[in-house]
Amino acid sequence: MENLTFYHGFVVPFVVGTSVLFAVIFYKYVRWFTRLPRRDRQKVRRGIFSFATVRAVWECFTECLLHRRIWRVNPLLGYMHTSFALGWFLLIVVGWLETTAYLGGRFVPLQGHIFFKFFTTGLEHGPRWGIDFEAVMDLLLLYVLSGLALALFKRIRSRALGMRRTTRLTFGDRVALGSLWFIFPMRLLAESITSGLFGSGGFLTGSLGGLLAPVATQGLELAAWWGYSIALGVFFVAMPFSRYMHIFTEVPLIFLRRWGLRSEVREKSFDHFQIEACSRCGLCLDPCQMQRDAGLEQVQSVYFVRDRRYNRLTRRVADTCMMCGRCEERCPVGLELNTLRLNSRHALRNTPANDRYAYARNRDTSSGGGRTGYFAGCMTLLSPRILKAMESIFAAVGEEVWWADRSGGVCCGRPLKLSGEVDAAREMMKINAEMFSKQEITTLVTSCPICLKVFREDYVLPGIEVVHHSEYIERLLGEGRIGLTPGTERFTYHDPCELGRGCGIYKPPREIVRRVGTLVEPAETGREAMCCGSSIAGNGLDKNAVGKMGVAVGRAFEQTGAGSVVTACPLCKKAIARNTSLPVADIAEIVERHLVPAK
Amino acid sequence: MNAVNFGYMISVARGIDLDRNDLTSARELGDEMPEFRACIACGGCTATCTAGNLTSFNFRMVQTLVRRGEYAGAYREMNKCMLCGKCRLVCPRGINTRGVVMLIKRKLGDY
Repeated sequence: MENLTFYHGFVVPFVVGTSVLFAVIFYKYVRWFTRLPRRDRQKVRRGIFSFATVRAVWECFTECLLHRRIWRVNPLLGYMHTSFALGWFLLIVVGWLETTAYLGGRFVPLQGHIFFKFFTTGLEHGPRWGIDFEAVMDLLLLYVLSGLALALFKRIRSRALGMRRTTRLTFGDRVALGSLWFIFPMRLLAESITSGLFGSGGFLTGSLGGLLAPVATQGLELAAWWGYSIALGVFFVAMPFSRYMHIFTEVPLIFLRRWGLRSEVREKSFDHFQIEACSRCGLCLDPCQMQRDAGLEQVQSVYFVRDRRYNRLTRRVADTCMMCGRCEERCPVGLELNTLRLNSRHALRNTPANDRYAYARNRDTSSGGGRTGYFAGCMTLLSPRILKAMESIFAAVGEEVWWADRSGGVCCGRPLKLSGEVDAAREMMKINAEMFSKQEITTLVTSCPICLKVFREDYVLPGIEVVHHSEYIERLLGEGRIGLTPGTERFTYHDPCELGRGCGIYKPPREIVRRVGTLVEPAETGREAMCCGSSIAGNGLDKNAVGKMGVAVGRAFEQTGAGSVVTACPLCKKAIARNTSLPVADIAEIVERHLVPAK
Repeated sequence: MNAVNFGYMISVARGIDLDRNDLTSARELGDEMPEFRACIACGGCTATCTAGNLTSFNFRMVQTLVRRGEYAGAYREMNKCMLCGKCRLVCPRGINTRGVVMLIKRKLGDY
């Protein structure tokens, strides 16, 4: 026992690989950490000794190891990811315990743990601490191998694992993936041959070793261990340059996120943690309507993040996205895909603001007055029926309204922001915010979810509560200020992206619809609702793409069997109406039709 | 030109000599975004324009001039656009008008 050396020529590839891996990761993390803006570093300092850290540890366990979010997408896919992550992690931990159980507290170099079976053939076999380590390690190896079998099967039939499309891999990914596939079978082979030669091993390596014993030679044994070490070495060298960088990067990302760090409209160092935490699993591909309905390839979030990571992002890729957020909803790593896309657009094409909206300053065309303000938004002004409906509702409750833009106003600034022209957008926001603050309003109602989102996200409006008209109407109903006559019509409801995923408003419009008729949901709804295709963020989409996506949306509503479509966004309304024979109405129009003023 | 004041003026000729204009940029714009060529100059975009409601910005005019090779001032004019997207919704040819604005600014910008 004293003369264990833990050295053999075949460990070199493994040791070199591991050294490269940790050197690169250390370099990257130190660089990103030191470049974090001061505000972010303050958040880290404040968060590190808070409860957020405990929650981060728990999230690391449930996400990095168990991959809970992937299980929700598809159990088989979840099993595959868990078997690799948890299986490999346990192999390392239990392997370390095994070494300690056999050798006590003495120092064992890293390769001694990894190639334990090879170096300790002279030891007496059998359980230690009452645990049959060989059997446990075999069980874990079998667990990982079962995941590997699924991964191979996924290459042939990804649909069986719940994925219609999988990611196209880069060269580095292929190298890493190839070596990863070899690691565990090589380990099985190497450990089995050694077991065959020395009569050791658990139920798996032992019995396979027994089968191999007649042909096993020392030369074959060494060749297998060399193979295992080379596979590990190649994988570790390729890892920080491939998608497998996510294995480590997801951990700091989870901690930083728990401490309150977020990506912003301008690129910053924290983005690196998000971008390199992307595993290119490709779960974002299937929900993408650009892929599914318009046939656009290589622009989805996974490819966008890949291109940005390797500094080859093109304007076309950055611009071809509706920022509907369906992929973000699905992302198992929880990446802020919309914000990343947004700050890339900012970096790629922000033009100087140049005081270009000077003409819009001091051009207040608002009318009326009162505690409640109403901001129609450009798109509502283009849909006069919604405006008329809102007028009727306000009249019915006798609300005195300050009309911010009934006779034309200034855009809210969100379209500019979504196009990456952040500085110019800020100018626009200033113009509107100044106009609002001159009024005595305490509530600002808007019919446009795009405006709503930017008012809530970017405007500083002290003393003014901004609400969507669906929330406002629900409030009126709750206070008994208006009533609705029930009907028998069957409605289906479309969740606008900016209202649902954007502002988290799902319930109020549905409550209103249920009061006036029956609500039937489309196949994809709520957090997974489709985008109408006309998103204001879709700068790079031509009319063919928008058209194809629109047709698919129209079809989805017709399949519900509803008599008409209700939505809560003037832009969605126009886009859907164009692609279906069903009547399409805004929630305000439905309310107007069934309106009963309270006595 | 105003040497003698007759009390009235003759408007400056507005004819565009296509042979004299350099159409390279206009062609490049069209190649990059073929929809750009589909415009029938109906003016729907200008009629609904949020910016046009407040100032003299005229999308139809600017993009028509650009297609004819008259680039002077196009960038400055296009910068008045708020990118609100109403024009894209009303366009009978379904042209990605916001994309056109951004493309013209990028190609003809002087920043």
